Amino acid sequence: MTVEVAPIGWTKGPGENPQDFLFISPDTQRVLKIGEFVSFKTIVGSEGREILSRIIDRQPLRQFPDSFSSNPEVAPGQIAHLIGYGEGDHEIFQLTASVIGYFDEQIKAFVNPRIAPREGSSIYFVSDLILAKRLNKKGKGEKGSAHIGSLLSRDIDQVPSVLDVAAIASTHMAIIASTGAGKSYLAGVLIEELMSPYNRAAVLIVDPHGEYDTLAEMANIDHFQADRYRPDVKIFRPGDVKVKVGALETSDLYYLLPNLSDRMVYLLGKAYREVRKEAKEQKGEPDRWTRAELEAKLIQLGEGEEDEEGNTKSDFASTAQALTWRLESVLKNSILFDDQEHLKLIELCKPGQCSVLQLNEVDEREQQVMVATLLRRLLKARTETQKNKVEKGNDLYLPYPVFVLIEEAHRFAPASADIVTTGILKTILAEGRKFGVGVGLISQRPGKLDGDVLSQCNTQFIMRIVNPADQARVAESVETVGRDLIRELPALTKGQVIIAGEAVNTPMLARVRSRYTPHGGITKDAPEEWIGYFDEIEEDKRERDAALPVMPVRKKGEFFK
Amino acid sequence: MKLGKIVKSNSHIDYICQIYNPTDVPEPPTNENYAFGTFVAMPLNNNRRLVGVIYDTVLFNPEFGRMGPRLSPESDLAIFSPDYLSEKAVLTGVLTIGMIETDGQVFQGVPRLAATTNAEVETIGLNEIRGFHQGNPSVNLAYAPLLLSHPSPLAAHLLQKIVKNLAENIFPEHNKVLSVLLNDLVWKSQVMPLGGVR
Repeated sequence: MTVEVAPIGWTKGPGENPQDFLFISPDTQRVLKIGEFVSFKTIVGSEGREILSRIIDRQPLRQFPDSFSSNPEVAPGQIAHLIGYGEGDHEIFQLTASVIGYFDEQIKAFVNPRIAPREGSSIYFVSDLILAKRLNKKGKGEKGSAHIGSLLSRDIDQVPSVLDVAAIASTHMAIIASTGAGKSYLAGVLIEELMSPYNRAAVLIVDPHGEYDTLAEMANIDHFQADRYRPDVKIFRPGDVKVKVGALETSDLYYLLPNLSDRMVYLLGKAYREVRKEAKEQKGEPDRWTRAELEAKLIQLGEGEEDEEGNTKSDFASTAQALTWRLESVLKNSILFDDQEHLKLIELCKPGQCSVLQLNEVDEREQQVMVATLLRRLLKARTETQKNKVEKGNDLYLPYPVFVLIEEAHRFAPASADIVTTGILKTILAEGRKFGVGVGLISQRPGKLDGDVLSQCNTQFIMRIVNPADQARVAESVETVGRDLIRELPALTKGQVIIAGEAVNTPMLARVRSRYTPHGGITKDAPEEWIGYFDEIEEDKRERDAALPVMPVRKKGEFFK
Repeated sequence: MKLGKIVKSNSHIDYICQIYNPTDVPEPPTNENYAFGTFVAMPLNNNRRLVGVIYDTVLFNPEFGRMGPRLSPESDLAIFSPDYLSEKAVLTGVLTIGMIETDGQVFQGVPRLAATTNAEVETIGLNEIRGFHQGNPSVNLAYAPLLLSHPSPLAAHLLQKIVKNLAENIFPEHNKVLSVLLNDLVWKSQVMPLGGVR
């Protein structure tokens, strides 16, 4: 590794932790920010190596006495000058740096030499070019790359932050940030990169707020087009996506019909098993039962079997009635569940297509059941296709990897309870890598997100988090991010992100790049809308709408005309 | 005005000046002339001058401690023991705080040259004090840490007196800057000894 020649400081000694060391620098150019990268030279084995390190702390060593600042109109430097200190910039800094290691070209990773630099070793500022090569696994615009932004400690766009899409798509990722920190914006940037000609991904977005429809603009922007390629963004609005009732499992039904008694659970389970058995015998597939069939089965079980004298005797009649009533109210009136219709996976997931499932008008429980069903089908399809168990034309035929981005992930894997989606999410996070199902979770409340689920996302984008509970969850679940970076969380501003994990060589602080497409998740400007209420045109319109219809004036004798 | 001459030194910068008495000069200085905090100069060769400040005054009186009465009455002493009268002396401590070079260049801090025995100590005028302290852009008090490091219990008060004098009489235009320093010194020498916290 080659670095700029002039040293910027000297090592002082070891730091608090074994991998940390201290160095002293006047930092006259003010470049040694927290998160910045520096290097020192050492011999590892018999080879000379440049060891990359990250600055994690910065302390001034010389400070004027507090009393020098007692008059706001007189600068402390003036007092220092008065008593003879006129030697220019007085500041020197003690900086703590954490050793990352030298980059091993063979294994394409950093190797920690596990030895602190000698006291008095020169410390160098690492050049933009070298840093871009070492931090990122991919080059900007390279096949399988995602250009997310640039390194925060350097000037804008000087050191691009480029991620490895293969790592994201196979080992999953999470975007965690408080409201307003820019997580949807970052997700938009990531989708743009996934849909670029150098990735052409098959992406499915679960969008409970309807924020991602602006991505459709991609089709009209040159950046996303290449010969014979143009990304296709399909927005599935509530009602467009149907879940076949037959695809529901007992756990889904129990979840959709809350507060079931033990008797109801027993009866529903029994009816479910029998109706599936009959569907398999009569229609060839156990999933091809309908709501009406399940209800009929419940009634039948509720009535009980006839005895020799033709009488029926059962204690379940009222239970069956209650269950059918509940099934009707949930499944029959839902825009989501249908007896026959089922959105085909092949329509939902194909390379170069970004499908946005807008669930903003769907009940939360229904959203969860739908996502659980969808994820189950996706994993099954990928597993069976990969094992050659299904062929082209089959509902479950899905011959390419899929990346699923889930907004408001804490709804689908809450920390407090195991819900219908938790199990399948955990399965995909653990096994999805083998079958090509990648998951991206976005959440504003990591404290409410299941810890196991979060820790399985091997690439993390962490933006500003102020809540201490959320910070603690991030610290315990995200091992790759050091404590020094966690400390930075409350200080990050909008659009600044800590990127860590599989998709980069070492954790970094970055600023998110501008999007090509407009941002959909914009916070409402309430005062603007309130003021707009008194707009002349608006007021006229309201008056017109509220006015009573005027009866035509009739002359005498015209009543029966 | 000539105040006296150097009779002894305690260190490179700490001198004792014996103030002229009526037997030395026709018009000896009064205690107003060698007050605490007075700026003085001591000539060196080649027109160089050491600049100092009076930091202490000690009265020397050989009669002190003599228990018996003298045989000669006080009025006859001038005739019978003139040496006795000249043995009474006023001694002042002078700390050198800088030097003015041959070409007029001012240096503040520990001067590289020392004064000689019998070197004359004289007061310096307001203009010269101003010139010695003129800094860029305001006042130069580079000898302040040197004064404070002196072991005398009066050192802090001395600097306080100097800064106050400079702020009020010599550099009123830089009063704001000097006041910050003065305020700090007053706090440390007046309030902190009585329990004021940092």
